[in-house]
Amino acid sequence: MAYRVLIVDDSPAMRAFVRRVMEISGFDLAGCLEAANGLEALEVLRNEWVDAILTDINMPEMDGEELLRRLEADEALRQIPVIIISTDGTPVRTECMLQLGAKGYVTKPFRPEVLRAELERSLEVVHG
Amino acid sequence: MADVVLEQALTECTEEVLEQMFFIQPVEEAVPQDPPQNGDASHLSVDVDFSGEPSGRLLLRISKPAARSIAADFLAEEEAVLSDQQVGEVICELANIICGSVLTRVESRTSFRLGSPRLLIQVPEPEMRPSAVRSLALWNGNITIAMTMEPELCPGMTKFAS
Repeated sequence: MAYRVLIVDDSPAMRAFVRRVMEISGFDLAGCLEAANGLEALEVLRNEWVDAILTDINMPEMDGEELLRRLEADEALRQIPVIIISTDGTPVRTECMLQLGAKGYVTKPFRPEVLRAELERSLEVVHG
Repeated sequence: MADVVLEQALTECTEEVLEQMFFIQPVEEAVPQDPPQNGDASHLSVDVDFSGEPSGRLLLRISKPAARSIAADFLAEEEAVLSDQQVGEVICELANIICGSVLTRVESRTSFRLGSPRLLIQVPEPEMRPSAVRSLALWNGNITIAMTMEPELCPGMTKFAS
């Protein structure tokens, strides 16, 4: 599966883990991009198109909530499905992020197959 | 008095995190260890502050051999090629996930915000007694998690911890 996915997380270890999950799920890692926070993600998206964004919420510089707002405010970028990966599994936070435009929400801890299913579902919605 | 609900949540969440994302199962519950001491070179210590209702702090202490094997499992690398920095980053993430998981379980009606996990060189003197402390034995060392909450869980919250 040659999709381009942007992983946004301030933890290098978590970015590496998500890459690993994608690899064992059969995704092509050559199209995998990384950013350490929302600002870096927007910088990447100035020059690169991606099929999906996987982002944490709590990050320095710009958090996932603000990133989602910026993406939704951009006519082109709002087409990209965003999946939240967060330790905060409270209903209030989940509902908030989905209302802001996130297409999926995965709460840590998660089994690799859960992230894979969420990613595939979001990509199918967009690409059919 | 220790918070039984929080103790149970600490145990269950730590086991769940280790199993689902680090692919290891604790051997058994262990006797909680003494708080980490400065100059203890045999362990890594990480803390995570959290704010919301309640606010507080999680302190995780893990033996270095266990930390290296956990990091190797998480990153799918050989222990020998891992740098100390990589091991520290993984243990910080472990503390982050456990903290979020516990808070989601015991305070699911309100959102919370986690600070960035910090690898501790100098372990600060505890400002107050932890609300709960749990230790788990791994095959090559122990992991101890202490959580301090202010205010502590109210009795009405117990149903959220099961």
